Amino acid sequence: MISNRTLGMVSLAICLSAAVLEAAEQPDFSGAWTTFRGSIGAGAFNAPQGAPVLTEAAEAARNDFLSLTDGTNHGAGNSCVGSGMPASVLGSGGYPMEIIQRPEQVFVIYEAHSEFRRFLIGTEAEDPDSFFPERNGYSTAYWEGDRLIVETTRLKTQVDSRYPHSNEATVREVYYLGEPLEDGTRVLVNELTMTDSAWLKEPFSIVKRWQELPGYHVLTYECSEPKWLDEMEGLYEEAGLEMVQE
Amino acid sequence: MNKIATTFCALILCAIVAPASAHHSAAQFDFRNPVALSGKVIEARFANPHMRLVLEVTDDARGTRDIEFEGHSRNNMRRQGLLPGMFTVGDMVTISIAPMKDGTDGGYVVGVRTPEGEEIGRITGAD
Repeated sequence: MISNRTLGMVSLAICLSAAVLEAAEQPDFSGAWTTFRGSIGAGAFNAPQGAPVLTEAAEAARNDFLSLTDGTNHGAGNSCVGSGMPASVLGSGGYPMEIIQRPEQVFVIYEAHSEFRRFLIGTEAEDPDSFFPERNGYSTAYWEGDRLIVETTRLKTQVDSRYPHSNEATVREVYYLGEPLEDGTRVLVNELTMTDSAWLKEPFSIVKRWQELPGYHVLTYECSEPKWLDEMEGLYEEAGLEMVQE
Repeated sequence: MNKIATTFCALILCAIVAPASAHHSAAQFDFRNPVALSGKVIEARFANPHMRLVLEVTDDARGTRDIEFEGHSRNNMRRQGLLPGMFTVGDMVTISIAPMKDGTDGGYVVGVRTPEGEEIGRITGAD
């Protein structure tokens, strides 16, 4: 006859095995990533090809923006403003991105403009509506086997993005590890779909790939300091004082 | 792989990727016909989103004047191997630039020639 103690041990073992299996299913995306090329050579690009199909009203809004800025120095990036979703993720790679993964959240740093996104998992995720809209929105996530599903809402209307969208846009991303390169370098895949009934005629779907940069860390991206230094210089000059700050 | 080798590989991997979209229009620069140019460093500001370099340049056509150049973000400059120590105020430097298409002074820094004659940087477009 099986004792209660034995039954307890067996139950515990089953539970632990299930937990280990579940954990083993979920890959660790931590690391630095650059644009996927497969092998070193020409033809690399940061953002995958493809563009959202805009409604007439959205097209008009986008054209207004382009009529003011095309061929000029006016641009979000030149004003030290980050790309915002989905351009931040689709454009990452030329400037690497770094992922730091914990069980309850995945933290992504896009080097360009030091943009970051946090994918909150499980109970860490809060009600998105309690957050202000932002260019990168608010992202929650959950695992489906070895795939991380990320859903982003609370985006702002952006005509200054290469992927224009209204504030009704939502983005669904599916992250998983793809077939590694011959030398074992890991490959990360993101199947992204942006839905926006106000600005898009149809959902915009695109696939982004990266390959790992082992041992690399993204750099800081200080951008607004020169503008402040110019301002300081002006103040010091006007006052006839010597500015010693670099 | 040791750390130096790893870092070098990372720099190369990043550096060969041409940025998909510039921070602003770069239509005024002729990246297809880079030219070399020497001058004394008046100001070098390594910054994001773009570096700013002012050289005192002398030539027969226009005499001596200060010329302002633009360059990549300091992050991408570093990945290309273009480091702040290569542009010390008062030093003479030789740079490669994508000149202005309209022939005016200025341009986009695409590389530098060290005093030892080594060419560093292979920038093919604005970032």
